[in-house]
Amino acid sequence: MTPSRTPSAAVAAQFAAERRRRRTLWTSLAVVVVLAVISVAGYQRYSRRPADPIRLPAGTATGDDTGIARGAGPVKIDVFTDFLCPSCKQFEESTADLFDTMIGDGRVTIVAHPVAFLDRMSNDSEYSTRASAASACAADAGRYVDYSRELFRRQPVEHTSGMSDSELIDIGHSLGLDERFADCVQKRTYQGWVAHVTERAVRQQITGTPSVTVNGHAVRADPAEITAAVAAER
Amino acid sequence: MRPRVRYLALRWLAGNGWPWATTAARAGLAVVWLFAGTRKIGDVDDFGRAINAYRILPYDMAMATGAALPLVEVMLGMLLLLGLATRVVAGVSAALLIVFMTGIVWVWAHGYRIDCGCFGSGGGLGVGESPTYLFDLVRDSTLLALAVLLLIRPGGWLAVDNWLHHETQIPSGEGNR
Repeated sequence: MTPSRTPSAAVAAQFAAERRRRRTLWTSLAVVVVLAVISVAGYQRYSRRPADPIRLPAGTATGDDTGIARGAGPVKIDVFTDFLCPSCKQFEESTADLFDTMIGDGRVTIVAHPVAFLDRMSNDSEYSTRASAASACAADAGRYVDYSRELFRRQPVEHTSGMSDSELIDIGHSLGLDERFADCVQKRTYQGWVAHVTERAVRQQITGTPSVTVNGHAVRADPAEITAAVAAER
Repeated sequence: MRPRVRYLALRWLAGNGWPWATTAARAGLAVVWLFAGTRKIGDVDDFGRAINAYRILPYDMAMATGAALPLVEVMLGMLLLLGLATRVVAGVSAALLIVFMTGIVWVWAHGYRIDCGCFGSGGGLGVGESPTYLFDLVRDSTLLALAVLLLIRPGGWLAVDNWLHHETQIPSGEGNR
């Protein structure tokens, strides 16, 4: 400080310090309030979803409305896949024949859960949800397996918009599905069901795709391991 | 030569160095918050699923937290970039980082195999991927160190705080009314 500093200057400095303190306090409080408001806004984002009764597609498993069942054997295999996940495509291709044989032998019931984990990976087009909802439309016509195999065969690359609704409909037409299917895809009839399937999978700690359980026990998504697990259950 | 360099470095810190060091810390932490937040903000459910994979919070709380936290992260990043209420923001950042690290340690201790979800990936590991808990913890401790530095020395150049708290010199006559 300069030697010319007077007592009144010291008082002024004290006032200034007091003002600074108060201003710091108010900005801090304001920031805390803004952070709190933002948290509540975020919570609203989650809780504003509709609670309409969910429409279920035909062919869901008995006692489990989150998967499309195939076969009626004693051992239950639950398969969780996302139509945009590259390793799910590989998994589907490597297990198609095995599952057909197991079903033919009457050994297993296979429940397919088409979850939508990867919506963030399709340029906001929510391909996982749309593809899964379309597969449920095919389930209504009893063609889930054919349709889902076709979706995996033509799987789009991650971080692209994927197939449009009309392309999803065209695939159905190529399998002989009629206008009811087209209508179902167009109206996103089973969007709510897809959210339900996904939620239930997450609740039971399915964190990634493909995931497989055999009679409720987690098994690596690998044909040999699934075969062994099924053999062990009998 | 070495002691001389150290002396110069210390003198720089004692003089104009600290304001720049804290400005750099603010910028670094801000960039990470903004990156982490914007990666997760698009998909409301994705980060919630990642939190659910830690098996700490019940499903609904995990999903709600997952929807809210990316917004908070972006907000913290913006406030740090502006240098507004830096001490409070640094405190909140440090608290969050400690919570994150506790979560990772918890998951590791329980032997769950997940992705930390820190930068938005739904919590699932891809086929053939292994958890990276140690790396995640080292990264978070580095960020925590930056946050603590800002908590101790929130001042620094290029901050709104400076402008907000700047006092013009009061004429000495004013006190003598």
